[in-house]
Amino acid sequence: MKKFLQLSFMLLFAFAFSESWAQERTVTGKVTSVDDGESLPGVNVVVKGTTTGTVTDFDGNYTISLPQQGGILIFSFIGLATQEVEIGSRSVIDVQMSADVKQLSEVVVTALGLEKEARTVGYGISQINSEELTTARESNIVNSLQGKITGVTIQNTGGNLGGSSKILIRGATSLSGNNNPLWIVDGVPINDEQTASGSRITGNRDFSNGASVINPDDVETINVLKGAAASALYGSRAAAGAIIVTTKKGKANSGKPRVTINSSVRIDDLFRIPDYQQQYAMGSQFNYDSSTVANDWGPRIVGQTVNYLPVTGETGPLRAVEDNGIRDFFETGVSLINNLSIADADERMDYRLSVSSLNQDGIVPNATLDRVTLGLNAGVKHSEKFKSRFGVQYIRTVSGGTAATGSNDPNIVSLGNSFSSNLDPNLYKQWIDASGNQINQLTPSTNNPYWLRNENKNDREDDRFLGNFELTYTPIPKLNIISRIGYDYDNDNRFFSNRVGTVQRLQGDYTVDKFKRTQLNTDLLANYSIDISEDLSLSVLSGFQYNRRIFEREGLFGNQLLVPELFDPGNVNQSVPNRDYTERILMGLYGQAELSYKRWLTLTVTGRNDWSSTLPLNNNSYFYPSVSSAFVFSEALNIANNVFSFGKLRASFAKVGNDTDPYQLDFRYFPVTTATAQYSLNLNFPFNGNLAFRKTNVIPNANLLPEEQTSYEFGTELSFFDGRVGLDVSYFKTKNVNQIINIPIPESTGSILRTANVGRVDTEGIEISLSATVLQTSNFSWNSLVNFSHSETKVVELSDGIERLQLASGFSSVQVVAEPGKEFQLFGVPYLRDSLTNRPLIDEGTGRRIAGEGRSFGSVLPDFTMGFVNNFTYKGLSLSFTLDWRSGGIMKSSTVENLQTGGLTAETVRNREGTFIDLEGVIANGDGTVRDNDVPLRDAQDFWTAMNDGTVAEPYIFDASFVKLREIGISYTLPSGLFTNSFINGVQVGVEGRNLALLYSKVPHIDPEANLFGSGVDGFGVERASVPSTRSVGFNVRLSF
Amino acid sequence: MKNIKIYLLSLVLIIVSFSCDDTLDINKDPLAATSADPNVVLPYVIVQYSARSVSELGTRITDVSQQMSANFNSPLNGNVSVFLTGNAWSMMYALALGNLKQVEEDARAAGATSNNVAAIAEILSAMVFYDITSIWENGPYTQALDGQNYPAPIFDNQETILRGVVAKLDDAMMLIDNIPTEGVFNVATGDMIYGGDMTMWRKFANSLKIRVLMMIRNRDTSVDSELVAALSQPVIDSNDETAMLIYSGQAGAQNAYHNIVTSFFGPDNQSQQVHGPSEVMYDLVTGNNDPRASLLFYDPNNGGGNEPGTFPDPNTAVYSNNIIRPDFPDVWFTPAEISFYRAELALKGVTTEDAQAMFDQGMSQVLSFYGQDIPCADGNVVDGPCLRLSTTEIDSYINSLGAVTENSIYEQQYLEALLRPVLAWNTVRRNAYPELPTPPASSITTYLKRFTYPPDEVSSNPNTPANEATDTPMWFEKQ
Repeated sequence: MKKFLQLSFMLLFAFAFSESWAQERTVTGKVTSVDDGESLPGVNVVVKGTTTGTVTDFDGNYTISLPQQGGILIFSFIGLATQEVEIGSRSVIDVQMSADVKQLSEVVVTALGLEKEARTVGYGISQINSEELTTARESNIVNSLQGKITGVTIQNTGGNLGGSSKILIRGATSLSGNNNPLWIVDGVPINDEQTASGSRITGNRDFSNGASVINPDDVETINVLKGAAASALYGSRAAAGAIIVTTKKGKANSGKPRVTINSSVRIDDLFRIPDYQQQYAMGSQFNYDSSTVANDWGPRIVGQTVNYLPVTGETGPLRAVEDNGIRDFFETGVSLINNLSIADADERMDYRLSVSSLNQDGIVPNATLDRVTLGLNAGVKHSEKFKSRFGVQYIRTVSGGTAATGSNDPNIVSLGNSFSSNLDPNLYKQWIDASGNQINQLTPSTNNPYWLRNENKNDREDDRFLGNFELTYTPIPKLNIISRIGYDYDNDNRFFSNRVGTVQRLQGDYTVDKFKRTQLNTDLLANYSIDISEDLSLSVLSGFQYNRRIFEREGLFGNQLLVPELFDPGNVNQSVPNRDYTERILMGLYGQAELSYKRWLTLTVTGRNDWSSTLPLNNNSYFYPSVSSAFVFSEALNIANNVFSFGKLRASFAKVGNDTDPYQLDFRYFPVTTATAQYSLNLNFPFNGNLAFRKTNVIPNANLLPEEQTSYEFGTELSFFDGRVGLDVSYFKTKNVNQIINIPIPESTGSILRTANVGRVDTEGIEISLSATVLQTSNFSWNSLVNFSHSETKVVELSDGIERLQLASGFSSVQVVAEPGKEFQLFGVPYLRDSLTNRPLIDEGTGRRIAGEGRSFGSVLPDFTMGFVNNFTYKGLSLSFTLDWRSGGIMKSSTVENLQTGGLTAETVRNREGTFIDLEGVIANGDGTVRDNDVPLRDAQDFWTAMNDGTVAEPYIFDASFVKLREIGISYTLPSGLFTNSFINGVQVGVEGRNLALLYSKVPHIDPEANLFGSGVDGFGVERASVPSTRSVGFNVRLSF
Repeated sequence: MKNIKIYLLSLVLIIVSFSCDDTLDINKDPLAATSADPNVVLPYVIVQYSARSVSELGTRITDVSQQMSANFNSPLNGNVSVFLTGNAWSMMYALALGNLKQVEEDARAAGATSNNVAAIAEILSAMVFYDITSIWENGPYTQALDGQNYPAPIFDNQETILRGVVAKLDDAMMLIDNIPTEGVFNVATGDMIYGGDMTMWRKFANSLKIRVLMMIRNRDTSVDSELVAALSQPVIDSNDETAMLIYSGQAGAQNAYHNIVTSFFGPDNQSQQVHGPSEVMYDLVTGNNDPRASLLFYDPNNGGGNEPGTFPDPNTAVYSNNIIRPDFPDVWFTPAEISFYRAELALKGVTTEDAQAMFDQGMSQVLSFYGQDIPCADGNVVDGPCLRLSTTEIDSYINSLGAVTENSIYEQQYLEALLRPVLAWNTVRRNAYPELPTPPASSITTYLKRFTYPPDEVSSNPNTPANEATDTPMWFEKQ
């Protein structure tokens, strides 16, 4: 839908009407597509009111003889908007054609890579094309979907280079973590898994999700299948939706290869910085003390002379550092994105070769990421009956200096813990001496951040291979037998080290973490279409799928190095190996029948049966059906007119089953190499020569049933004023039952989790997409698109006796939980409050607030999200921008907690030296009444530090709503006349910006989108020591030959 | 064209061959076993328990009993971190007790020839439940470890748990008494404490029982007869019978008090001043000219002990490298503890034993334990050999002491519990002596009396009671 609205309308109005006529002559020209500039063969060119006409040739060229001066040429082609062009006195008329808005004959890619006319689709599907992805290029393709389509929520983990992004389609519907959609590239599934190294507790290294390797420059379209009906043919794996990526293919280009070069340079800096105070120095209770960083409760800075200045230990005057020096510490990130592609095609073959590189330096010192992508996509039509095509992509990603987040890792450098008002980063820019010792530590127990960033490795090398091979055999017309094999191979090698001399890891250590993930997918399917009568057509399809996924992991932790920086197991006192392996197979048999009447009524029925290796053998088979229908009522009732141009209703129903992870059925004993301890002071087995096994902490369930999701969807697509205004509305409702969940159980049962089929989660939502060509003149157009998505997930019931289910555990007393009757909640400990006034109760002895009992604070998911996309074009100049609005949902920020308890930010300066009474509080009189608090705290420091008593989460829980200026792109296509005598075909230059401004937020000091959890977890609403997110501005040049 | 047909045909064949259950019968974890020998499960429990006890409770709450002056991330001031309480709870219930329960059930199912295994599991369970009630007071006991029947176990009060622990220990002793003479399961490998010697386990069980009864009698002296009876049964009565986990001191088997120093600060405690004695601790030892002062403390400047909540500095006393060393064992029970209980009960008239003789015996045992018998390899003390006391030094010190008093017993019980976080804490709470000052900047009125319940239990178990203020005394304390 949106595709049309992004089309330029200028050609429609570009030519002034002329009334003059003259003698016969010849007009030539070329017809190209407005979408991608490719030539269009076979377009009918007719002189209006005559039978004179011709057809464009393979390269889109035409020549037509006209009987006289003037006249109008009509260009028409199925699926494209017919154009009438005034000839005037011109002899060359080039035309760009666009898809037909009125007919809505847009082609979308549906399950199994089947292309369908959008008008016949009975469920929600959104398509975005390559330009939208490359307006402001993102290194993780997931992020570029943000705000552009309805029903999609994106969450990323901050400014970490190569970090993961999570995408949710139509909200979270599953308690079992099956909320990530299935990614399909050129017809075969690829893994979008994310495997974190470490844990959020011992320090998390967030490495990207599997789909992030998809190169936006190679993508032709992305179709997002939102509901279960849309993805039913993919089976259980697409219960949370599917994202269908179709890569670019070679197209004919006047007999010449088409060469495109697209280069961007992008500069990243800090998106938002805390409002640090510079009035008070490091210390406590107004006494200067430089031995603790990020504890700025010292004396007022008035240039006084103090002993022990930070880092140097010298005596000298106290001086504040602007913004606590973070602008000195964080660097300007630079990204270079280059793509070269060569494409060609003729009647028999097509071919596209693409080479891309991404070279990034992050804002955190010494963070780098380099990615090379090689892609080859080719097809051959061997005969009328036999076609083959293949695609291979090799992606190598090498990153260094990935930042640690979370807790308990010496390598964490965070806004809340590593900076102070009078601590100048310039003092510690030297971090190592000639002997390899750490110098200029912040304190004796705090590492020099530059030492951490330069000496300790956080490296990753990832080799990814995606291949697909497809044969199509057409024994008789309209019967296609397709066999398709896809293979996804990921080899991920990670290496972390702490150099000898790193505080907390003084004796040095290293970790090798290597894993391999493969996925083999084969499909054999046949489809056949038949026109039963002139009005009625039937299309049937059936197929079989085999899918096998293997994950293998091996690693080694080496501790206490003898020779520094020699990472060999023989050089460590302690080496702890680890290993992991899982394998799963899914087989599916599927079929689809589609009946269409006059192309305005379409009924589609699908069925699929899956057999999964992860379920009990006697319960491993499950069937699910779907029905969908599309009704183009404007055509059926023939009610289209000048105002109302198109109307369609759609409805669908689907039932989807789902399996679980491997090895959930048996009670297991695991060999153990590590006995965990605080501060990672772990003990290891063999211990005194003893091996160790432990039982599983998850009580297994040998009688698991498949999960079951039922969904309904109703929608309408309307367009008005010849398609200048479009409206697409969807309503959906899903019911998820029998979810396979590892339920956290009281540890006092002797186990931690229990696997069971429990619970019901309902999700209901509405999506509205309103598009309009707001203004249109011959040279200028303004297209606008508003996307609104609302989904509400309601936990209807959990298992018997379970009132609360923990979905993810954050830090410091916050958890993401499911509670019946509510959306996913953030659970934490509030202050004790007076029931009448709802004001916090104060301890009369101390003047401090009192901790209450844990409760839910609210939903971690937004009430709604809105995207507002605008596109202005004036001749060759185009300006687009995207606004993102998220409303609702809450988050807890540990960075804010640290900033405030450390006295680092401006609000902690208020009344710092006066008598400090917590005026919000009340004191219980003991007789059921309360009075205004009149007990002073020791001082302001006491107020802010007592807020953080280790249990209470309430003061750091915020409404996470925001409005952001997400994206601006300005591009200019140089007039083609400039290159008429050169080999250059076109030049486009652009300026792009992402994450440009936070227009509204209730979260202080940090980006409200910051998140602790990577894409692999259903964790929302918790932030801790995240890498600050970035604002990017870039410049782009696109050349085609 | 022919090739295509062959290709398609073979694809169909491949598919047909997939379609049998064999293809799907791959759901067995190749890296796990479905059963386990107690000789490998017991080491997991013992080492995991010790790892968490020393590294978490040891390095975080020994300043509550003020044996150390300050710990990192300590609940000293009244606020118990959710990690501290959650980690300890999880280790005790899910990791230790959960596995012990399996071991015990399997052993009971195997019959009397596995009585030894069942008894070991039960004794270790009893020890862990003793820790649990010492830390949180109330906790699931009667309904614990039985998720099938009790998915949300109720919390029992301390009296129930303590009496339950006694019953458990009695049961374990009965199992040991009924071990057949032949065909007994060999648990020598997995028993990292006594190498399968069940006579020793019986002594350990009975000694633990006495420890627990002493706690109960603080509130209910009706257990005195039970105590007297237990004292007539074999107990740990010489240092070579000490229940402890020996650390080799090699990487991966280092005591956390030492490991925290070398991982975070530098080569040893004396140079880095991480662990220092509080004033109470220091004064108790040095005030009496106790020869243990030379073993325990390093104080070249005679700076003395450290204020509660304050880490040592270069001028004050620290724990010596003789104590903070990689192979310092995790001590669970020494004979001196029993001797001091005997002295206490005699002095209070519960038994007719000679209080002074029992006190002197305890002194002799504890001094020779730390001065002679404790495992210590010279190479593991960073700056020299293991420090030792001669028998003459020990004897002359004991002879120099005055007549035994309740307080002198309490003092020695406190010192005997050296750096054992739960026992030392229990000792001061039970005896209310030595009196501990409230640490500065506390949010509570006394030293810490209890932990709050972990949020994970609170959120998953609706039967979790509301938290009490952390200075609320437990049941076993004198009210």
